[in-house]
Amino acid sequence: MRKIISRILTLALIMLLSSLTANAQVEEFEKYSDMKNVTYVYISKAMLTLAKGLTTPSVPGMDMKNAFGKLNAIQIITTENKAARTKLKAEVADVVKREKYEMLMQVDEDDSKVRIYFKDGKKQSVILMSTDESNETAVIAFSGTFKIEDVQKMTESSKF
Amino acid sequence: MDELNIKELERIPIPEGLEERLSAKIDEWARPSKSPLKGDFKSSPFKGDRRGSWRALGLAASFILVCGIGLYLALSPSNKGSIDTYDDPEIACMEAQKALQLLATNLNKGMAQYEAVNVKGRQAEEILNKQLTKLK
Repeated sequence: MRKIISRILTLALIMLLSSLTANAQVEEFEKYSDMKNVTYVYISKAMLTLAKGLTTPSVPGMDMKNAFGKLNAIQIITTENKAARTKLKAEVADVVKREKYEMLMQVDEDDSKVRIYFKDGKKQSVILMSTDESNETAVIAFSGTFKIEDVQKMTESSKF
Repeated sequence: MDELNIKELERIPIPEGLEERLSAKIDEWARPSKSPLKGDFKSSPFKGDRRGSWRALGLAASFILVCGIGLYLALSPSNKGSIDTYDDPEIACMEAQKALQLLATNLNKGMAQYEAVNVKGRQAEEILNKQLTKLK
């Protein structure tokens, strides 16, 4: 009896913990995975761990292995479709407002608008980058256990 | 008849220390009840209570298990959003690097603008200081 109960308790705890850590990404963007005219890329923590050993210093000065280690997931959403672009932009604006993201940077050029937001969460932080060009809108969400200092280091170390 | 029997019984000599031994035995039986988790489980007079508590614990554990399964199914996304796009870690690595590179490039674009503004500000400050010293 005692063994059965302890086994049930252990199993229940494992289930509870795994359910809490299951969502390592920005949930709001998940729906774009099966949307028409939208390209959705999801790279999980497991895949990033596998990829960690294959990294090459493609960004000068940036410690890719360290960056990969701190990432839990990457979501990349790109679209050229007019309706999907409008929806995606509205979604980003809504997420930023609701989840209280902080704007890190805004770069407006002739043909492109770039916005970089940051959310410092207790369990997980997110860097959200949206680029709006004349013919395409892209959103990249980096979820992980990094801090604002890590983003700062990224700019310091990768100066060309 | 009963009175006679009692009188006869009273005549039987009581062994020495019997009363003390009996009280000691009673104390010994009572002892496991003070710490229900230890002692002789089978001989405990609180065996029924302990079984009840195990049953309650079992029920609680089952409840947590059901909640856990429910939460797991509710929170772990069953849709495509959580499935890795790439099966090949090499392609995933390239894509991740590309995304990080884009982030770094854009961050630096902003920082370059900021530094350019800073340089211009410093130049204006120097000119202003020069003019002020001339006026003095």
